[in-house]
Amino acid sequence: MSGSNGNIGKVTQVIGSTLDAQFAEDKMPKIYNALNLQVQRTVLGEITKETLWCEVAQHLGGGSIRAIALGSTDGVQRGVDIQDTGQPVTVPVGEKTLGRVFNMVGEVIDGRGAVDIKERKPIHHDPPEMQDLTSKTELFETGIKVIDLLCPLVRGGKAGLFGGAGVGKTVIIQELIARLARFHSGFSCFAGVGERTREGNDLWLEMQEAKIGDTGKSVIDQTVMVFGQMNEPPGARLRVALSALTMAEFFRDQTGADTLLFIDNIFRFSQAGSEVSALLGRMPSAVGYQPTLATEMGQLQERITSTTRGAVTSIQAIYVPADDYTDPAPATAFTHLDSTVNLERGIAEKGIYPAVDPLASSSRLISPEYVGERHYKVARRVQQVLQRYKDLQDIIAILGVDELSEDDKVIVARARKIERFLSQPFYVAEQFTGFKGVYTKREESIRSFEELCDGKWDHLPEQAFLYVGAIEEAATKAEVLAKGQ
Amino acid sequence: MANARVIIKRRKSVRNIRKITRTMQLIATARFQAAFSRAVAARPYVERMTELVADISNAVEGEISHPLIKPRENAKHSALLVITSNRGLCGGFNANVLRKATAHLAESPDTDVFMVGKKGVNYFRFLKRDMAERITDLGDLPRFDQVEPYANRFMEGFAKGQWASVHVCYMRFHSVTRQTPEALRLLPLSAAPATDAKKLVPRKDVQYEYSPAPAELLAELLPATARIRLFQCFIDAAVGEQVARMVAMKAATDAASDMITSLTRRYNRARQTQITMELLDIVSGANALA
Repeated sequence: MSGSNGNIGKVTQVIGSTLDAQFAEDKMPKIYNALNLQVQRTVLGEITKETLWCEVAQHLGGGSIRAIALGSTDGVQRGVDIQDTGQPVTVPVGEKTLGRVFNMVGEVIDGRGAVDIKERKPIHHDPPEMQDLTSKTELFETGIKVIDLLCPLVRGGKAGLFGGAGVGKTVIIQELIARLARFHSGFSCFAGVGERTREGNDLWLEMQEAKIGDTGKSVIDQTVMVFGQMNEPPGARLRVALSALTMAEFFRDQTGADTLLFIDNIFRFSQAGSEVSALLGRMPSAVGYQPTLATEMGQLQERITSTTRGAVTSIQAIYVPADDYTDPAPATAFTHLDSTVNLERGIAEKGIYPAVDPLASSSRLISPEYVGERHYKVARRVQQVLQRYKDLQDIIAILGVDELSEDDKVIVARARKIERFLSQPFYVAEQFTGFKGVYTKREESIRSFEELCDGKWDHLPEQAFLYVGAIEEAATKAEVLAKGQ
Repeated sequence: MANARVIIKRRKSVRNIRKITRTMQLIATARFQAAFSRAVAARPYVERMTELVADISNAVEGEISHPLIKPRENAKHSALLVITSNRGLCGGFNANVLRKATAHLAESPDTDVFMVGKKGVNYFRFLKRDMAERITDLGDLPRFDQVEPYANRFMEGFAKGQWASVHVCYMRFHSVTRQTPEALRLLPLSAAPATDAKKLVPRKDVQYEYSPAPAELLAELLPATARIRLFQCFIDAAVGEQVARMVAMKAATDAASDMITSLTRRYNRARQTQITMELLDIVSGANALA
């Protein structure tokens, strides 16, 4: 990033991860402009110098500005010089970024030396114009039965993975990377927002090992990773998604290739916003979130979109605090998505992974005009059976299964099988489950569930439906189980 | 949060269910006592009757020949009387009897089914199986005069060679804690009902003189035995039904109580969350304005 435009001010106040600075009244840096200052820290007698980046957030009047620090404010002193760069934070873009790992301000953090890139783009700009958007609606097959059947992803659309703590959001994101990026011809971009650093490292190593199709190239060679994880201050977590998005936008606009954008986790973006909001002096709104929650989310989400020049398919994990879907943060993210995959703790507790809630998950595509009459009908039938089972659950809990009518008994038995059949072995979980990952074609999934609903497989034991691909594998598993007894 | 209200509504409905199941449990207990004392009262009679038949058949010299004892190998069809309940909410009672009946029918498909009880009738209707007769008007405690005509019909049909055998599938009552579904062969009559297998041995120490002759007596007694055995099945089933209902309703009441406890906990938590959140909003709002 360029150093300065010669406009220099002084730090007047440091409050946590925000700081105030005084500039000449006629040379105040613009909102969103990047500022930098030198921070001198003394650790065990050793003096280190670091550049701290900040972003102007408010003009306080009288030449005074308030800025969000994009790094740690440890060691910042009142009175130190702070320089205006005259432009927003910029990140390097282009094909040379592929295979590398960056932080929020576009510095390389994989320890493989600097990147030689001239071209940089500011992380703030307007979303694409209305007339540039495309309205193409095409299904994006994942090979995961429950997703393809009930909440299929849209190519060039946005998908959200909602879930509380520890129900498997990150695992599904990683699985989707493994499944999609491996067979994907375009570029991928991964944004790690406020999640565990260890997970980022795992993913990075995994991507180096994984090969794309049979080209011999590693997945990482077609991927840019940008991290602003849990250890970073809120300013970095607030902007890291934008940095990654800016890199992805370049691929979309300049190369026209299909681009995948993975974000884990959008909630941390809202959370970081709420952390700095109070420091900026904004009045807290519902549940203590920033009053600008919907605006911030809208500004980010509206930029993640497909245009006539190229498509960005984004898959976002969204943490749901305390499993409460009415919490403002997940609720604002909800409206921006084409398909929502809800992960449910109750299902994870049953040991069924992916723990997708078949009744709460949905997709814009589930309509006869997009997926076809047959797929639509099968999806609805599966949901009907499961809904009926859910309705009957209280009766079963109190009176027992024997008190149900004969028709309901059949439905309950079938629903329990469907429930188990919605599980699937994952590639990335091979070492944990001991099952090999399975890719089930959408056509196969539809047929399997159709036959299940028709009662063709009522004779198999429930266990046989756990962690298999197409329905024939359940039959095979049933034989194995029968032999084992 | 709407959550708290949803939980309250659910808890209310579970409470209502518990009220019903608890009442049902009490009623079943009362009915069980009535049925049980009747079953106990009928037992000595059946036992004596069995002893008597055993004694007499011992006294008859040579082979006993009676139409109710002779097996009919040439008859193609057989009959099966299945005793289920008219009412539900009695746990696995009907399911167990019907499972036994279905297993029996799988072995001998050419069987005319006489179905007692609405639950069994509904089940067979669901399976789309034919029934020779549907008997749903016997009430909770069948009387002997209600059962007798069926016994007579079975004996008549058997004697005519219409059926190779007549079985009764019912819930056999051993004790309050043990009932087993059983398919009892009613006809051709065996020397003694399986119920009292150990008492089969005729008493050798007592010598009776019979008048009229033992063979004639048997001709009269065997039909009576068949009737009383059939009646015994009905009594057993009636007791079994009430026991099953008692147990099922007890379990249901307990399950409902557990559910209410956990719903109450969830409700309290939801309510507290709601209060905390509102407080937080008010306090932080007030602070921000101050």
